[in-house]
Parts: sequence; structure tokens; C-alpha cells
Amino acid sequence: MSSPAVQLRSRVSSFGEAAVEKARLTVVPVNRGRAPRVPFIVLVSALAIVGVVGLLLFNTSLQQASFTEAKLTEQASAMVDREETLRMQLDDLRDPQRIAGEAEKMGMVIPAAPAFLRLDGTVVGEPRPATPEDKLRIRPKPRTVPADLRPRVNVVKVRADRADRADRADRAERRADRSAEVEGSD
Amino acid sequence: MSSSSRPSDVPRPGRGRRGSPTFRLRVGLLLIAVVLSFFGARLLQLQGLDPNSYAEMATAKDVRDVVLPAQRGDILDRNGVALAGSVSGRMILADPLRTTADAPAIATLLADELDVDYFETLEQLRRPESRYEYIARRVPASDARDVLDRIKKAGFKGIWTENEPIRDYPAGDVAANLIGFMGTDEPLAGFERTFDAHLSGKDGRNRYTQGNGYRVPLAENSIVKPTNGHDLTTTLDRDLQWYTQKVLAQTVEDYRAKSGVAVVQDVRTGELLAVADAPTFDANDHLAADPDDLGSRALSDVFEPGSVQKVLTAAALVDAGKVTARTRIKVPAQLRRQDRPINDWFNHGVLKLTMAGVIAKSSNIGTVLAADQIGKRKLSSYLTDFGLGQRTDVGARGEAKGLLPNASQMTSQNKDRIVFGQSLSVNAVQMTAAINTIANGGVRVSPSLVKGSATMEDGTLVGTDHATSSRVVSEQAARETMLMMERVVDPEVGVAQRARVPQYRVAGKTGTAQRVDEDCACYDGSFSLSFGGFAPADDPRFTVYVVIHAPGVDGGGGSVAGPAFAKIMARALAHYSVPPTGSEPNQVPVEW
Repeated sequence: MSSPAVQLRSRVSSFGEAAVEKARLTVVPVNRGRAPRVPFIVLVSALAIVGVVGLLLFNTSLQQASFTEAKLTEQASAMVDREETLRMQLDDLRDPQRIAGEAEKMGMVIPAAPAFLRLDGTVVGEPRPATPEDKLRIRPKPRTVPADLRPRVNVVKVRADRADRADRADRAERRADRSAEVEGSD
Repeated sequence: MSSSSRPSDVPRPGRGRRGSPTFRLRVGLLLIAVVLSFFGARLLQLQGLDPNSYAEMATAKDVRDVVLPAQRGDILDRNGVALAGSVSGRMILADPLRTTADAPAIATLLADELDVDYFETLEQLRRPESRYEYIARRVPASDARDVLDRIKKAGFKGIWTENEPIRDYPAGDVAANLIGFMGTDEPLAGFERTFDAHLSGKDGRNRYTQGNGYRVPLAENSIVKPTNGHDLTTTLDRDLQWYTQKVLAQTVEDYRAKSGVAVVQDVRTGELLAVADAPTFDANDHLAADPDDLGSRALSDVFEPGSVQKVLTAAALVDAGKVTARTRIKVPAQLRRQDRPINDWFNHGVLKLTMAGVIAKSSNIGTVLAADQIGKRKLSSYLTDFGLGQRTDVGARGEAKGLLPNASQMTSQNKDRIVFGQSLSVNAVQMTAAINTIANGGVRVSPSLVKGSATMEDGTLVGTDHATSSRVVSEQAARETMLMMERVVDPEVGVAQRARVPQYRVAGKTGTAQRVDEDCACYDGSFSLSFGGFAPADDPRFTVYVVIHAPGVDGGGGSVAGPAFAKIMARALAHYSVPPTGSEPNQVPVEW
């Protein structure tokens, strides 16, 4: 690369060294002051790291929230279920048939005719105690069969596989007690 | 640039090792092209050939589509007490392949916690070649949760649950005939079916992406909220309904009757407070019941009303100005009419009865003679106005409208029998509403079973919002009829002293009608005994109608249905704190 320049130089020497010297183009020397690289790299890396870590944290917290949400949703639906069950048990306990059975056990009967006490102290109607004749049969009579047709009973005690209504109410009561205990111990 | 100043003879380091740039470029390009063509081929395979199956696979793996079940509306009584309610429940399932090993332990646990039999469960848990066994159905969700938790804690595998809503009828058989019940998936009877559109809501959906059981945040998540069903409020009073059912059941049982009906209606509003059927069934266990008992006989069974009908005849006669309570009628021992003689239920010579006496003693002959003063057309029009021969449209399924011959179909023999309640048929609610017309001063209020408004399956709007009232007879005529009816329960002159409610003035009428056998379409020799009336007579609040079909013992409406009427009426008056009016029963003469 340098040899053609030498030739050119010798060929045009007649134009004078000065002119050549004048005409020759030179690259302006690069004279920028070199900015220190380290702070820039540190800045960029810091930004990158902060970004990545931030994103990671953000994601983690979102995921954490999702776990919490799942847990709370589960808890909420468990509580809704519990509430529904308790309400059903309460409704079962309010069954007029059950209440009548309880009242009957306590020896209560529904009066045949009411008497009213007015606010001024007078009594309307004739108050009289209810008698066993007023008693209402709340369960159907057991079927009666002539003695000859009655099969000989061989009693074997086993767990009932299907609870009847009264039994169900008892269970409801028991369950209500149990859940009350659980609530209490919480 | 700096190389320009370098001497040319200095060999470049590494030139021999790397080869020429062109060569290197080509090799590199080739490698890149090979790799890219793999990518391209894969892209073509994924996107071009079968894009949907991959998308589906991804969705199936991660996207869950959950149905959010809508809550079915409750059926309530007039005070908001639930007669039918919904509870979320689960069915408990087992995979015997995985439970066989621990079967005894699991069965013990399940039998302890649930209503299941140990041995049956044990057998199910070990059933060979089965992978799906129902251990328990309709378990309340919280109980199922507890069981599953215990099973999980104990480390057993192969037990899981699935959703299964429970329809609970807390009061069992109370109003079961009207409310009906639910089958496994759909409503099968009663209000549950008739008002299904009103009660059932619309299920919602939730579609979300999940990973390892948790929702992926910021991924697909769309929710369509469920629309819950509406509650249906009835006009029934649960406690009174229960009491009415028990009194009725006891009466049907004691008299060995085939069936029975009792209706309690609020005089002023026409609301039905109790509509009892016997035999009835437990709505929680409808499969155990006789299918014939599942509907409401109060509305679907028609029968000939018998002498209770005389009340309507009397009211029509008074309104037409033909008779009063004191009108004198000579009643012969037998009345010879066109085709056959008409008799009374008791043997007598010639009686001199007033119209009140005719009603009090329930004389067929007297009624026919009195009714001779009114034409067929007029009678038919009155009875139509009382609501006979037309459906009450209270919202019950399969209501029978009964049979009331119109004036042109009515022969004079027909007419004679219709005035004392044979040769026409009614259902119990129709008849209650007709008696209630007298109680309500001559204005018929249409009966209702639903509070507010609801649409039936066939689009009919029913409920108290659509109740109508129309005048049938004048207030004076209704009062005059009441005076006659009050004599029915008089201990000296009436036939139904057992229908009296102590301290209250009661107006009523007995009925003893021959029953038609559906198979032979003839009178089969059995009777329908009834009593219909209202109290307090001088300021009526409730109308009660009791019908006992085909009792196994001899008796009349007064002795069989009367006591049941009295009990139900006394309870209704006490329950709604209606004090006695304090006035004395009327003493209109029955003879002259």
C-alpha cells in the first residue's frame, strides 16, 4: 500500500514539495477524550439486574397472592358449606314434627280451645287445663296383627343402616353439639 | 487502520488455522441455514399441519372450565320458613382398584362418619374389576369435606367426591303433596316442577389457567357469574299445615278411610293456609311412597260434595228472594219424582221444617222442594259464580275442574240431585272457596297458594297478585245462609254438634255423599263424609273444609269429619289469636 504512494510522490515532486504537502488529505486525528467505561457498565448492569430481580419479585408476589387466593377461596367455600349444613340442621331441628315429639315427651298437649287475656285484665273464653283426651296422635299407629300371624321375633341388635326422621333429627342435634364444641375450642 | 503501517512481510497470526474468510462465511451460512430449516420445518409442523390439536392439548393441560352452580330458590311458607331448601352436597366415590388394600380401615372410617353400612361399604371398596363405586350420595358438603380430610390425613387413596346439590325438605311430609320433590337431575312433582323456571337459576362458568392446582396470575381468567333462582313464597302456614295434616291423618286412620283432604282458607284474602292430604309422604324419601299419594288429592280428586252443597242452594234461593231462614216447608216422608223417589237420610213422617230446619237437619226433600222455586238456568248460573266446574288455578299440578252440568245439559232429575250435592263433582279447594263466599259476605275471593306472583309451566300467572273477587250473592243472603248453617252445630236441633268449637260461634254444614267408582262409573256403596264451615260465625276469619273418603265405619259428615273440623278450626283461631266474639248463637226456629 505504501509503494504506490512513494511512486506518486516521486512523480509529482516537480509540483513542489510544499504543494503536495498542502494538497495531501489527512484524517483528522481522533482526539475524543475517552469516557470511563466502568460507570456505564455498572449502570446498565444495575438496571438489568434491578429489572430482572424486580420482575422476579413481582412474579413471585403475584404467584404468592394466587396461593393465598386459592387457600382463602378454599376456606371461604368450606365456611359456606358449613353454614349451609348448619342452617339445614337448624331447619331440621325446627321441624314441627320433632318439636311436637319433644313436647309430647315432656307431657305437653295442644289445648282444644284457647282463652285470651285482654290488656284490661278481663279473660275472654274459658281457660281450662288441657287433658290427655286433647292429645293429638303425631305418629301413625303401629299396625296391629292378630297374635297368630305375628312372626316370632328374634331380636338381634345391629346398627341401623337407614336412619328415620327422628333419628336424623337426633343426629342433627348431635352434630350441632359437636360443631358447637369445635367452634368453642377454636 | 493501524495495520496499514504494519510491514507487509509480517505473517498474520492464525491465518492458516482459520482458513479463508470466504470459506468460513460459507460454512457458517450453511450451518445457520441448516438450523433455520429445522426451525422452519418445526414451525410448519406446529402451525401449518395441525395447529388446533396442540392448542387443545395445551388448553386441556392447563385451562380449567368450571361450572359455577346457581342456587335453586327456596320454597317458603307465609312467614318465610323454608319448606324446601337447597344445600350444596357431594357424592362420595371410590376406586376399588386403589382402595382394596386398605378397605377395612377406610370402611370403618366411612361408617363412623357417614350414614353408611360398614359391611356394604367394605364390599364396595373391594369389588373386583370396578373402578367407580358410589359410597354415599347427597352428603352435605361440609361433612364430605371432613371425611375427605380424615381420609387424606390417614393416607388412604382412591376416595374422592363430586358435586351433587341436595334438595332438603326440613319439615318432611309437611305440604309435601303440594311442594313436590326433586329427582336426581330434574324436578319431578308439585311446585318444584310447576314453578321450575321461577326456582331454578342459570349456572355460571369460570375459565382459568392453572398450574399445579393453582391459578396462574395474569393468564386467561373469565367468569360468568351464576344467576340464582328466586324463592317461591306460598300462602301456607307451616305449623297450621302440620297440625291439619296430623288431625287429618289421625281421622283417616281411626275411621279406616281410603283418603282424606282438609283445607283452611283465610276468609278475607282467600289465601289457603293449609291444604292437607292423607295419606301423604316424606318429600325427602319419595321413593318409599305409593305413587298414588304423591299428588295433591285436594285438587286432583273430584267427588260429589253431598249435603254441603245445600248451603250454596240455600244462598242462591235467598239471593233470588225465594226463601228466608224462616220460610215454612212441609217435608213429606218421601218425594216421588220422575225417575225415582227421593228420600232423606233419616226416616220421618211429614215434618214441618223451616228453611233453617231443612239445612240443620240436612233434609234432601226439603231442599228439593225449596229449590223448585228456581229454574235450572238460574241455579246453574249461581253455581258457576260460586266457582264450581272451573279450575281454581292456584298453581297445583293436575287440577281437576270437576263437573257442573250447564243449564242445557241439566235434566230436571239432574237438577233435583244437584241441589243436594249429587250428580255434580267438585274438588276440595273449589268447594272451600264456595263456602268461603258465604263467610265473606257473598263475595267470592279466588283462592291462592302463592304469595305475590309466579308463572306456571303453561304460562298461567298465579298468586295473590292475581286474586279476583266477585259478588255472588247479596250480603243479606250470605248472612241469612250463615244463620241456617249455625243451626247445624246446635246441640239440640242440629246434626253436627261435634263440630262445635267451645266458646266460638261456628257455622257449617255436613255432607254425606255416595261415591262414584271410577272403574264402573257407578255408586260403589262407599261414602265421602265432609264438613265445611267457618268461624266466628258473626265475623268469619277462617273457612275449613274436611272430606274423608270411603271410611271403613258407618257415620255421617258430622260425626266423622266434624271433630276434625272443630280441632283444625280451634287451632287456626288460637294460632292467629282470634278471640271469641262473645255473642250468643242465633235461635232461628227449625220447626213450625
